[in-house]
Amino acid sequence: MFDPYYLQQLAIGLSLGMTYALMAIGFTLIFGVLNVVNFAHGEIYTLGAFAGLVLISATAPPIVAVILGALAIGALAGFSLERIAFKPFRRFTDEASLKSRAMRESTLLSSLAVSIVVREALEIVFGSQMRSVPFDYLINTPVRVGPVILVTGDFIIFGVAAAMLIGLQYLLTRTRVGLAIRAVSNNPLGAKYVGIDTDRTIITTFVVGSMMGAAAGILMGLYYGAVFPAMGFTPGIKAFVAMVMGGLSSIPGAVICALILGISESMATTFVSSGWSDMVAYGFLILTLIFFPNGLFGARRERV
Amino acid sequence: MKFRLLTLTTLAAAGIAGSAFAADTVKLGYQLPLTGDTAQYGQDFRKAAEIALTEFNAAGKPFKVEIVFEDSRSDAKEGTNIARKFVDDKEIVGVLGDFTSGVSMAAAQVYKEAGMPQLSQTASHPDYTKVSKYQFRNIATQAQEGPYNAKWMAAKGFKNVAVIAEQTDWGQSVVSGFSDAVKANGGTVAFSEFFNRGLKDYRSLISKLERAKPDAIYTGFFYEDGAQFLKQLQQLGIKTPVYSTSAAYSPKLIELAGGAAEGVHLTSNFLPTDPSPNVQHFVDEWKKRSDGAVPGQFPAQAYDAVRIMLAAVEKASPNPTREKVRDALAQTKDFPGVTGKTSFSADREAEKELVKVEVKGGAFVPVAD
Repeated sequence: MFDPYYLQQLAIGLSLGMTYALMAIGFTLIFGVLNVVNFAHGEIYTLGAFAGLVLISATAPPIVAVILGALAIGALAGFSLERIAFKPFRRFTDEASLKSRAMRESTLLSSLAVSIVVREALEIVFGSQMRSVPFDYLINTPVRVGPVILVTGDFIIFGVAAAMLIGLQYLLTRTRVGLAIRAVSNNPLGAKYVGIDTDRTIITTFVVGSMMGAAAGILMGLYYGAVFPAMGFTPGIKAFVAMVMGGLSSIPGAVICALILGISESMATTFVSSGWSDMVAYGFLILTLIFFPNGLFGARRERV
Repeated sequence: MKFRLLTLTTLAAAGIAGSAFAADTVKLGYQLPLTGDTAQYGQDFRKAAEIALTEFNAAGKPFKVEIVFEDSRSDAKEGTNIARKFVDDKEIVGVLGDFTSGVSMAAAQVYKEAGMPQLSQTASHPDYTKVSKYQFRNIATQAQEGPYNAKWMAAKGFKNVAVIAEQTDWGQSVVSGFSDAVKANGGTVAFSEFFNRGLKDYRSLISKLERAKPDAIYTGFFYEDGAQFLKQLQQLGIKTPVYSTSAAYSPKLIELAGGAAEGVHLTSNFLPTDPSPNVQHFVDEWKKRSDGAVPGQFPAQAYDAVRIMLAAVEKASPNPTREKVRDALAQTKDFPGVTGKTSFSADREAEKELVKVEVKGGAFVPVAD
């Protein structure tokens, strides 16, 4: 008989992987697919969680309204982020600037600056301690599935992540907007020459990706029951690792690698001390980069 | 950004704002995390220090005291830089802080060379006071708390225990202080492991821990990690009793964990419900500055640490020097603080009385056994 302990660890790993995937989807859309270096996604996630929390404590609305509120804040945050940290670097439209790697890489610092300002501002307004979410809103009621115990949130997160993944795949491969996004990412100058409104395409991608980030933030807040300014950092790193392992531009690849990360962390806990389980996940990243420099699911292509 | 001088003085009220550096002002340094992941602790310490300082300066003493707060971000490198800065300021006669044992010990190396007395409200690693004769602390060490809790759990009949703690200097002292005492009492430690501070998901660790089938779990964590751990323990339907150290004693633990905190046992040296006038005075002052929130144990220790330092400065005056303040600190005996009477032993350890506490009905309740 198979030890139910391993089944439980596998279930925990999958649920952990799902939480990473939830964050990785929006992150990969902006960073990977659109090919724009963006390090402020973690703060979008935090903003989504705080928006939800403020809404809950102010008016105690139904949970769907909380998520819609977080989505609205996410869209607004994504739009503003693009305006503040990315648009100024596109103001030169001559060929040299459009081809310049330095111009595109400079958003690494501008987005990082925005993320620091947002985090510190949240700390000033809300304080840096963990804030609790009212218990009625939490999505962590235990559910027993055979020998394994999960919580309601695991199923909600699975549903949301699957919907995001399928929706985005449809958007990217079957619609003109998706085609435009891929064209801009592939060759911004060429896209411009064939008449694509690159500005609008980039803004749309930021808004969609940031709405997903904000939704991930509020869901994680409700899942773990704690919201605090630094909460976006660790998921941001995990999402980054999943994206790189998955080959940067592949959203299904990022999701699968997020699941691999989650499972390897929970399984590693069985064999090594919990303090070392992160190392197993990052070890996978290093192995991937050595043996599959383009990631497990990536196509060969020039990157920023 | 690096050296943010955050708050300087609260003595303007006395009307000598113009002569802040006159001979009748004594300066102290306080290094603590005011930003970063542990900022909530540092912010609380500053609040507690300001209460103590305002009281001292309003009491009509022959001199005023000023505290320079510097933000260490709980970063050892930053802590050492602040220590050099404090040492270079000839007017500073004593230093409070830092928050974590790691940063306190790093800064202690600088204070040791310069002969600057250092009093930490929270550094509980056994090696901290061993750095030099200038290091004092106002907290029970894990060398005191571990055996105390081991005895408590043995008396409850828990022979086979699991112990987990965060992966820090402090966490290691929790595990070693407790495990040694359990073995000395004839018990067994079935499981012992460290986790990374700030871990979100404890379910893998909990499943692994439960495989060892312990009678009880002893934990070395702060309230953030503690709340997540307790909630996930409840989610997995595990009923094994949990014991913890005074570090988890904070109202935030119950706020964050809710019903999952019920039945947790821990030790403390501060009870906000203590009816004695000085405790109630501190709790009232704290509530006034924190929207009615009740202080946990750490702010109480900071409040006492600042008052112990102020008493030492007063004893060393007129013209206190670093050496005189150190000697005055070392002579502290039965200081009546909100965390009980504090005396420093010959090796500069605070001898604290510990109280047993259990979470019952959403509150910390003192228990006899």
